[in-house]
Amino acid sequence: SVKTQQQEPRMNRKKDKGFESPKSVIGYVELTIFPTVVNLNRIKLNSKQCRIYRVRVNELEAPFIYNDPTLEVCHHESKQRNLNYFSSAYTAAVSAVDPDAGHGELVIKVPSELWKQGDDLKVLKVYIEFSLDQPKGGLHFVVPDMEGSMAERGAHVFSFGYQNSTRFWFPCVDSYSELCTWKLEFTVDASMVAVSCGDLVETIYTHDMRKKTFHYVLPIPTAAPNISLAVGPFEILVDPYMHEVTHFCLPQLLPLLKHSMSYLHEIFEFYEEILTCRYPYACFKTVFVDEAYVQVSTYASMSIFSTNLLHSAMIIDQTPLTRRCLAQALAQQFFGCFISRMSWADEWVLKGISGYIYGLYLKKTFGVNEYRHWIKEELDKIVEYELKMGGVLLHPTFSGGKEKDNPTPHLHFSIKHPHTLSWEYYKMFQCKAHLVMRLIENRISMEFMLQVFNKLLSLASTASSQKYQSQMWSQMLLSTHAFLKSISNVSGKDIGPLIKQWVDQSSVVKFFGSFAFNRKRNVLELEIRQDYTSSGTQKYVGPIKVTVQELDGSFNHTLQIEENSLKHDIPCHSKSRRNKKKKIPLMNGEEVDMDLSAMDADSPLLWIRIDPDMSILRKVEFEQADFMWQYQLRYERDVVAQEEAISALEKFPTPASRLALTDILEQEQCFYKVRMQACFCLAKIANSMVSTWQGPPAMKSLFTRMFCCKSCPNIVKTNNFINFQSYFLQKTMPVAMALLRDVQNLCPKDVLNFILDLIKYNDNRKNKFSDNYYRADLIKALTNSLTPAISINNEVRTVDNLNADVRLILEEITRFLNMEKLLPSFRNTITVSCLRAIRQLQKNGHIPSDASLFKSYAEYGHFVDVRIAAVEALVDYTRVERSSAELQWLLTMVHNDPVHYVRHEILSMLCKNPPFTKTTTDSALCNEALVDQLWKLMNSGTSHDWRLRCDAVNLYYTLFGLTRPSCLPLPELGLVLNLKEKKAVLNPTIKPELGVGTVMDTPASIGIHGFNTMEEEDIDMETVHDSQAFIHHHLNLLERPSTPGKEPPSVEQSMLSMPATPVPSFSKETPSLSSKHSSEHGHHHHHHHHEHKKKKKKHKHKHKHKHKHESKDKEKDRERDNSHAYSNSPASGRSLRSPSLSD
Amino acid sequence: MADPAVASGGSLNAGGRGSGGKAASSPAENYYLARRRTLQVVVSALLTECGFESAEKAAVETLTEMMQSYISEIGRCAKAYCEHTARSVPTLSDTVVTLIEMGFNTDTLPVYAKRSQRMVITAPPVTNAPVTPKALSAGQKRTHPAHIPSHFPEFPDPHTYIKTPTFREPVSDYQVVREKAASQRRDVERALTRFMAKTGETQSLFKDDITAFPLIAAQPSTIPYLSALLPSELELQTLEETDSSEQDDQTDSENAAGNIINDDPGADKENSMLPPSGGVPSTKATEDNVIDNPYLRPVKKPKVRRKK
Repeated sequence: SVKTQQQEPRMNRKKDKGFESPKSVIGYVELTIFPTVVNLNRIKLNSKQCRIYRVRVNELEAPFIYNDPTLEVCHHESKQRNLNYFSSAYTAAVSAVDPDAGHGELVIKVPSELWKQGDDLKVLKVYIEFSLDQPKGGLHFVVPDMEGSMAERGAHVFSFGYQNSTRFWFPCVDSYSELCTWKLEFTVDASMVAVSCGDLVETIYTHDMRKKTFHYVLPIPTAAPNISLAVGPFEILVDPYMHEVTHFCLPQLLPLLKHSMSYLHEIFEFYEEILTCRYPYACFKTVFVDEAYVQVSTYASMSIFSTNLLHSAMIIDQTPLTRRCLAQALAQQFFGCFISRMSWADEWVLKGISGYIYGLYLKKTFGVNEYRHWIKEELDKIVEYELKMGGVLLHPTFSGGKEKDNPTPHLHFSIKHPHTLSWEYYKMFQCKAHLVMRLIENRISMEFMLQVFNKLLSLASTASSQKYQSQMWSQMLLSTHAFLKSISNVSGKDIGPLIKQWVDQSSVVKFFGSFAFNRKRNVLELEIRQDYTSSGTQKYVGPIKVTVQELDGSFNHTLQIEENSLKHDIPCHSKSRRNKKKKIPLMNGEEVDMDLSAMDADSPLLWIRIDPDMSILRKVEFEQADFMWQYQLRYERDVVAQEEAISALEKFPTPASRLALTDILEQEQCFYKVRMQACFCLAKIANSMVSTWQGPPAMKSLFTRMFCCKSCPNIVKTNNFINFQSYFLQKTMPVAMALLRDVQNLCPKDVLNFILDLIKYNDNRKNKFSDNYYRADLIKALTNSLTPAISINNEVRTVDNLNADVRLILEEITRFLNMEKLLPSFRNTITVSCLRAIRQLQKNGHIPSDASLFKSYAEYGHFVDVRIAAVEALVDYTRVERSSAELQWLLTMVHNDPVHYVRHEILSMLCKNPPFTKTTTDSALCNEALVDQLWKLMNSGTSHDWRLRCDAVNLYYTLFGLTRPSCLPLPELGLVLNLKEKKAVLNPTIKPELGVGTVMDTPASIGIHGFNTMEEEDIDMETVHDSQAFIHHHLNLLERPSTPGKEPPSVEQSMLSMPATPVPSFSKETPSLSSKHSSEHGHHHHHHHHEHKKKKKKHKHKHKHKHKHESKDKEKDRERDNSHAYSNSPASGRSLRSPSLSD
Repeated sequence: MADPAVASGGSLNAGGRGSGGKAASSPAENYYLARRRTLQVVVSALLTECGFESAEKAAVETLTEMMQSYISEIGRCAKAYCEHTARSVPTLSDTVVTLIEMGFNTDTLPVYAKRSQRMVITAPPVTNAPVTPKALSAGQKRTHPAHIPSHFPEFPDPHTYIKTPTFREPVSDYQVVREKAASQRRDVERALTRFMAKTGETQSLFKDDITAFPLIAAQPSTIPYLSALLPSELELQTLEETDSSEQDDQTDSENAAGNIINDDPGADKENSMLPPSGGVPSTKATEDNVIDNPYLRPVKKPKVRRKK
């Protein structure tokens, strides 16, 4: 109901003033609002952690309430500890301030003098003064602790966040669908550069000449979440190819910046060409910052990258990664920034399109093989995730907003808001989105696809130059509906079924295929079965492509998968093997000679592929004979087929498989990633064949032939990595070889010595590339060679009883790790590898298990990759040793570490490698204190970072599951209720009954958890004292209209034993915050006024903000209005505790 | 040649050919003895001239010594003056300056030379000039080529400019070289890291013996990304060395062989250098001056009318 047309944030960043604390911001925001409804007497904005000093509307002081229900999701006195309860409360809290629903943390009352004006839909100007002191989220300050001025220290600050998080650093309508134009001004120290969205119009010194103000104008309508800021003593590089593009990096890194950015113009050209559309903004800025939240984050006309993406020309492995990041950022400039989403449910379209065009870039730059390999990788990833965790739903619809219609009941979080999503789920969501775009492309052709994109961009481009009043700006927002309509208009094709299958519905398809050849009928009898009952699977009905390679050629067949038909008869073309000498035509037209002796003499079939183009999101488990996989590996030219064949051959440890893999390894025309995969498969096969293996260890002679000196085969050639394919192979082969095991299940002595020799003779002096990744991989090879130590009666590991081989390995690792201190390698790859090796040595019992080394490397002040590796080791240590001290150490770091990414990684690693899980209940680590600690962490400790909070939720889920953690003591009252209610009762929260007296007499409360899949109801009861206080509190807080006799019948059962059981039912009443209703409700609540006052008194000490109020009456009115507004959410009970009310 | 000493020296050389056959231990010694004797005669004559009838041998000897020193000093000094002016043979002026320098009044010299009671001394016996012992002759001494006039100095001894082929064949066996390089590097690295570990803080993997496998303690740095991202000096140095060496040729040949189309080899090559000198192709460098990028514009002075 509210439209903002222009925002003018103006910030003074104070960083190095002695009298003020560093890391603070003061600023003001001016919003120009065009009312679209009459009666606009309240304006809701988003704002978190800002201190708001005053608000004025059209020059008149306006009273306001600032209230953030997500600060503490569940009331801190609550003894509720089940995750279901938390998740619904959290969702409700996020909903309560959801800008897309017209809500916000900051409610401004329009002064009554202006109501008349508002009725005429006249423009309102809202002016807000605010400050931020040491913000925990939204803005990140990096201030190295050393001597010198801020500029000399490389101190900088940048905005960050997961999804719409701009509210963390200035009050705004923090929605992707609320567009406005911007004027931005930033006053910073004269030694700093402020980079922000839009065009830098001018830079002006302040009067004392010690600061300067950067004036930006962004004339293209942009949503607040797409606004960002980076301030620092940046080195500036104007792109030599595109002068509108400016790059910024931290001091001393300019040479790296020059090299890393030398390629960007080609990405620009590529996107502009395929989209036949100019880059939408007048300029583009890339900023490289330290301690980045994510590697790439992109905003209107600028992107913020991690400084660790910068690299010199000597670095091979980082180069493609950095280019990929740049390409991703740029793709999102078109779709995500310029074109924004209509609602959260439409997110998949934007992520899908940007991911899809990024894929096209990959295809063009890195080749079709790389592209297909990537698609397979992404497909495998999403399939694995969905089969394990349950479906990923791209386009959720929430009919009526009722929680019981939850489209994803299998998840422990709500997908209703981006801020409640688990990070991993969101990554998978993006992955699925671009795969589905590719499916659409398969259906309507790439040409049409690009036409659709072009159309969307041209519409948006036209709209962007219009005035707000023209109502055109909505063209810049993309919805699922508009996208599908555009597709149907352009292509004339109906992609409804496809959308229904993959977008409106979650899950993937799981096929099992097998076949028989009927010689008499010369027919291939193919059977394709599906598993659609397991979690994360769905039933597929429709066409499927099957490719059959026969002696006479390759043939495509399209089969229809129907409800009840499993068998498909496919007629074969080749009669039999008549002409042995004849060349065999392949799919790509190539004709090759094959040795056909391996195949079945009766069958003309060489190999069969199901859905070769990956046009279904599926997993295929196909059974065919080993020789068929071998033919497929050798002769099928598609890298995906080759990779599938390699995976399948793991199950066939035969000399023929060995030969096929070795041949592939040697074939230089073969895609290097296939050859790398073949290395690992060969190692597995060799281990399975260990008793019959002939000749030297697998790959050894091959490596010698490819990389060692002709004259002395035990010495590797001096490094020359000019051929990247062989470089990657040279790196991979030792790692795979180290996985070889002899009959005693030890790494063969030969292999270990070979690797040690590679390290010894490694000589990089003549190489123009750095060998840091190669050396890191050699250490990885040493690590892989380790096997568990033979321990005699659990003796303590000492230097003396060290195994001789391990001594050699340790010698190398010590030297590498020490040399790294003197000559650090790029991204400290060597240290990372060494830390992993040391952990592996500990884990295998060769050296004493000890966490102190890892702790020192995990400390702030080491390079982030090193820290992550150390944390990984610590997480592993915690699990293996069940160490409570280390777990505490890690959790403390989650609280205190300055780097958000490290905090996030600690929690995700604890989820991946948990110290215990919900199924192992005997762990000593699992205790009440830990439950409380983690509960506190997700409840209130992570309110500044959506992602971190979701990580904490994930960890809680991994450790304790959805219900009340089993390690908690039984409730004191010992009441057992068995509510066999089949209807899902969500959001077990506690509500006061009507009669105050009754509640006061009932010294218990029950949290009811009732998912229909659960056997037992989870009942959470508290001590008499606690529940009394709790209920009392709620009574005072919640000014609900009395609803006598409204309890659901289910509860009545429990009432027998415990009268007046509060029952959750808030979802029945959707919060109606729209201003139209406010007066009505205000009236309704009049009789609760005295209670309200009581509450006010009680929580006076919580008030933080200073306001001026014109009249006490008004304040009371407003209070009433607002106190109602939040009363429907469980969070509201808490939320009203800290409104900014004062006299 | 007004100088009596020099004159007499000249006469020493001129005469004395008769006494060449005198037995002596070596020709060089003979030569010096003869000259010394002449000098003694001169001293005796001067004494006679001054009216002495006899003198003790020791006194004559002392005077001879002084005389010799004086003359030698004049010669040395004169030669120094002459060489100072880049000549090789002293001239009269060199000698005169020398005498003046030594505090001798040169005006008195002609009168003294023309004095009446001057005694004439017979020329000393001729002795052969000492032959410098032949250095180890190495090879044939080269004669002047045709374009060099014969009056130019002769070539020095061949041993001063030709290679002496007397060293042993070095070990060129590839395997041994690699072996040596590898173990040398390893030794250096080990010694260096052990030294660092001994002198600084360490961490240990073992509790029983903290000196085994000492690890240099991890030290947090204030700006950790700098050392992790920037190439070390050693790497930069390696890069410079290899840039001009054979590896570039390899690139070119391989690129050509692989049919890699390179529309702008110049830009590509530039990318491969670090730090790239400009980051801008040379043709663009001139354009650089006219780039209108808002971040390159000067910061404006605050306007006076603006009130804040």
